[in-house]
Amino acid sequence: MSGFTGFVLRRVVGVLITLLAISVIIYVVFYVTPGNVAQITCGPRCSPAQVQQVADQLRLDDPLYVRYWHFLEGLVAGQDYSTGTAVQHCPAPCLGLSYQSDQQVTQLILTKLPVSLSLVFGSMVIWLILGVGTGVLSAWRRGRLTERVLTGITLVGVATPVFVIGLVLMIVVCGELELLPFPQYVKLTDDPEQWAWNLLLPWLSLALIEAAAFARLTRSSMLETLAEDHIRTFRAYGVGERSVIWRHALRGAFAPVIALNANNVGSAVGGAVLTETLFGLPGIGRELVHAVDVVDLPVVVGMVLVVGFFVVIANALADVLYAVADRRVVLA
Amino acid sequence: MRQSSVTARRLAAVSVSLAVAAGAVACGPEDNDAKATSGGADAKPAKGGTLTVLNSNPQQDFDPARLYTSGGGNVPSLVFRTLTTRNREDGAEGAKVVPDLATDTGRPSKNATVWTYTLKKGLNYEDGSAITSADIKYGIERSFAAELSGGAPYLRDWLIGGADYQGPYKDKKGLDSIETPDEQTIVFRLNKPEGEFPYLATQTQFAPVPKAKDTGTKYEEHPVSSGPYKVVKNENDGERLTLERNTHWSASTDAERKAYPDTIDVRSGLDSSVINQRLSSSQGADAAAVTTDTNLGPAELAKVSGDKELAARVGTGHFGYTNYIAFNPKVKPFDDPKVRQAISYAIDRSSVINAAGGSSLAEAATTYLPNQKSFGYTAYDHFPAGKSGNAAKAEELLKEAGHAKGLTVTLTHSNAKDFETSPEIATAIQDALKKAGITVKLQGLEDNDYSDKIHSAKTEPGFFLAHWGADWPSGGPFLAPIFDGRQIVKDGANFNTGFLDDKSVNAEIDAINKLTDLDEAATRWGALDKKIGEQALTVPLFHPVYKRLYGKDIKNIVISDWTGVLDISQVSVK
Amino acid sequence: MSDVLVASQAPGGTDLSVVPGASGARQFWRRLRAQRAALAAAAVVALLVLVALAAPLLTAIEGQDPTTYHPDLIDSARGGVPVGSFGGMSGDHWLGVEPQTGRDLFARLVYGARVSLGVALAATVVQIVIGVVVGVAAALGTRWVDQLLSRFTDIIVALPLMIMSLALLAIVPSGFPRPVLVAGVIGLIAWGNIAKIVRAQTLTLKGLDYVSAARLSGWGTWRIARRELLPGLAAPVITYAAILIPQNITVEAALSFLGVGVKPPTPSWGQMLTAADVWYQAAPQYLLLPAGALFLTVLALTVLGDGVRTALDPRAASRLRVGTGRRRETKVGQSLAAATEGVGGSGGPGGPGGSAGSGGSGGSGVSGGSGRGGVS
Repeated sequence: MSGFTGFVLRRVVGVLITLLAISVIIYVVFYVTPGNVAQITCGPRCSPAQVQQVADQLRLDDPLYVRYWHFLEGLVAGQDYSTGTAVQHCPAPCLGLSYQSDQQVTQLILTKLPVSLSLVFGSMVIWLILGVGTGVLSAWRRGRLTERVLTGITLVGVATPVFVIGLVLMIVVCGELELLPFPQYVKLTDDPEQWAWNLLLPWLSLALIEAAAFARLTRSSMLETLAEDHIRTFRAYGVGERSVIWRHALRGAFAPVIALNANNVGSAVGGAVLTETLFGLPGIGRELVHAVDVVDLPVVVGMVLVVGFFVVIANALADVLYAVADRRVVLA
Repeated sequence: MRQSSVTARRLAAVSVSLAVAAGAVACGPEDNDAKATSGGADAKPAKGGTLTVLNSNPQQDFDPARLYTSGGGNVPSLVFRTLTTRNREDGAEGAKVVPDLATDTGRPSKNATVWTYTLKKGLNYEDGSAITSADIKYGIERSFAAELSGGAPYLRDWLIGGADYQGPYKDKKGLDSIETPDEQTIVFRLNKPEGEFPYLATQTQFAPVPKAKDTGTKYEEHPVSSGPYKVVKNENDGERLTLERNTHWSASTDAERKAYPDTIDVRSGLDSSVINQRLSSSQGADAAAVTTDTNLGPAELAKVSGDKELAARVGTGHFGYTNYIAFNPKVKPFDDPKVRQAISYAIDRSSVINAAGGSSLAEAATTYLPNQKSFGYTAYDHFPAGKSGNAAKAEELLKEAGHAKGLTVTLTHSNAKDFETSPEIATAIQDALKKAGITVKLQGLEDNDYSDKIHSAKTEPGFFLAHWGADWPSGGPFLAPIFDGRQIVKDGANFNTGFLDDKSVNAEIDAINKLTDLDEAATRWGALDKKIGEQALTVPLFHPVYKRLYGKDIKNIVISDWTGVLDISQVSVK
Repeated sequence: MSDVLVASQAPGGTDLSVVPGASGARQFWRRLRAQRAALAAAAVVALLVLVALAAPLLTAIEGQDPTTYHPDLIDSARGGVPVGSFGGMSGDHWLGVEPQTGRDLFARLVYGARVSLGVALAATVVQIVIGVVVGVAAALGTRWVDQLLSRFTDIIVALPLMIMSLALLAIVPSGFPRPVLVAGVIGLIAWGNIAKIVRAQTLTLKGLDYVSAARLSGWGTWRIARRELLPGLAAPVITYAAILIPQNITVEAALSFLGVGVKPPTPSWGQMLTAADVWYQAAPQYLLLPAGALFLTVLALTVLGDGVRTALDPRAASRLRVGTGRRRETKVGQSLAAATEGVGGSGGPGGPGGSAGSGGSGGSGVSGGSGRGGVS
């Protein structure tokens, strides 16, 4: 047990260090990015005096380490800020205020995160069904037509950027066949049914891109298991082929698929930029690209941290799941 | 406005304005069809229903202090009434300024340095309380606060004491040059004559803000309405806005806004190709949909023009806007007028126009001023290049300038995907100038970098792509920031990129600013443009044409020359 | 079939087949040749590379070039749609012309192959070089070196690819050749997963008898790494490379879509796709050409990658022939095989030798669909 506790502790510390390092990297990278932040924030026609006021207000003239220190302070102790007419408090962990919209970055993330999570987890269901299904078929029924068609579809997903697949799907399914409404995000809590219908196409587009990896992984893992001695024993004892495949071989694919899945879910939370942009989903990825465009440093740092958090956690989770699912692996 | 992305920025210039077209300058035949079928007599507009607005850019700053609009904007103008506003009529008529909250467009005195307005009677906010002149003063003062920056520079430049005023949060005393002798009257004292003040008074900074309801940077979440609609929902930082009728607004005090629909549902953050696809499909709620910021692109135009039903649902308009090449005469070899002239002669406008979307989406420009009456458009073509360039004349001039063996220059452009200052346009110019023996190297900069460089006197490149849009439909805001020698800014954003500081030009600008007869002023702006054009500090390339789809149920299409896009305050969905 | 069996059942219980070594090169080719699908894929890849290299020649035969405008071949009033059927295909313009400019599509497609394949290949090389160096150093270095490098790898993996590319591409001065820059940036950001795989594989190899023997006989670390480890890393690295190349092509496309990829007038498939997606209805061939080219490339590389992996790692080949394989000896090897089989599948945590303990669990973990999340 103490070994496990130690493992978790080391992990937590590792995650914190990783996140801190990420924030430093982002600060440095955006510090050297061209673009007069104060002028961009103030507006193109602002006078030098006005630009200076904005720079003062955003503390843009402080040295980099001072600005980073303020960021850390806000993270630990929160931060007070003025709306002009009143003083507001941004409670810890405060990621600062957006240069552009003056919103608290934590609030901004809380409004965008459900969108990204809806997209990613819904899509995950489809990519698992499509990917694992294709993988099973190709391990079991190699060379059959269904298998070839499915494999072809997953490869189209790999080869075609989502902005092409998504747009064509949208034009055909929503525009010409009128099978679905043009997607627009509806909150799950507002109307679960509309939420699902509107997200169906984004889910499908994203899933098509991810499915191929799962198909290949499932296939290889199953083939490995099928080659193992105990399966031969089962076969020798006359266990049905169907049962061998579904009961035993698929189990062998379980651990690696879970591991890959956790990893991909992690990176898609902030990485589904193109899907979100194309379908107009107000998620983390799209907001990040916009924030990079206008050099909105607090938003970029905050969101990259959240995205990084998901990736790191997903990786850690994958390791644990892998260990649990495949007892042969020892936790180090 | 605060800037969003590169494309957003360009669109914002437009969305800020909004217009509707039809019949204006040089519409293709299908536009007139559009007008006939949709705006025709059979379609009588009626009240009721929900108008959906499909936009790419969120109304992120829905604060009247922060919005940078031409004429008060399209969606903002439904909520914010201003002292004056744009005339909601088709074409050139729509480029006129008319009273809104005020009883007239302003009474000038003393050489147009003092402007007095009287408010109409019976003006109310959404909560029923009365709108006073003090609220308008307060609204303007707020726009000076650093927290609420983003608006146009004119108030700061024109009002006495404006340059140093820091807004009501820091300076409780207020701005003395705005006086409110009583609740109905407001007086502006300017530091120089400005005959075009009535145009400025259309911008959202002139909307009343009740001091008691001001919540600073949070005000944009629920600004207090003075117009026909009020904000009932503002989600995701302006991405989804729901507007409903403001029952305290009275049509009897507002001659301009028709306000037919009961509800306006603004959905933004959409991809532009998706918006156009939805409008062309026109299914369900999209049948009653318009867009206030997304034009048809060339690919979409190609599809639409092959389909009669769709072509009938395209509104065409012209916003005062010019895309051009700018020279920095401080950089060699552009210090030599002959080199600038040679490039002017060599330019192949037809290939540039193709790159910008083709002849239906862009009109060749030989003047700096937009080709509209309200700007005082005076046709000229000092260096006739024909449709595809006069290479012979260009080579001759280059030889005279000592570049007989040809010339190699670097064209700086933005890497933004905006089809204005973007690589596509630069590439077309590169290809076109080849014919005249001019080798063009391209220098593409990331958009923020590009914007910094071209607007800084220290780093301005010699030869670059640029554009300018109208803050209001007149020569003033088009010519003065670019060609007035006293507007050269050494330590900040500079727009006089040709560093022109010509006494006679400066004097003429001052003289025209004294005119309060806007027609006369327009004529003089046109003449001044022609005169400045002789210096070949710019090569005008094209004026964009805006084509936008609208849904099947949309009636009463009005597209003015002020905004170039359909005016949603006029639209009916029933 | 028989040689596969022989190879995979090496004597002594130690599976030598993970180390093809120099003498294995002939075997490798023989095994690769035995797979018809892989051969066909190799032919397609070779053809693509040839087309890219011969782009100037091919366009000279056609009599066109990728940058000349043909305003007479487009209908300016209709947005610049190509005149004529099938996007203006003709004897002069084999695949038609580009909307808005009238530039020759065949020329742009073959020149685009140069940029797209070149960028993807260069990025992959950068990724692999960094990944192998970091991975091997982490596995062979002291505990602190391993901790440091593994943590650094974690950070790199956690940074969103698209966002970092956007930021980095904006920083570099405009004079820098764009394709080189794009390749470099992709390579510098997306090497985390390959480093993880290499580290895990190196740890496995390190535990094997012959490496221990080399160490005991007094070989230096560098010599061991070069002579004994690198050959053993070839299989997973080459296999992973086959996955990375197509991924990098789509990353380049995605960067173009976001406006920071290769710039006009330089053609690339990604840029063509970006410009063409809105033309899907008005000029479908404009979209279908680069999309088809990209699909063909990815398909061929994927099949070829499978073939190479099978030829390099005959154990897997034997396992793929159901019922003839044998259980593997090491756990990490197993998860790695899975990792390279699936697109960047999963590297199992830790390793068998006690050495894995020194790495903590940080550097193990799951190799991901690295770019995948990034370009979605």
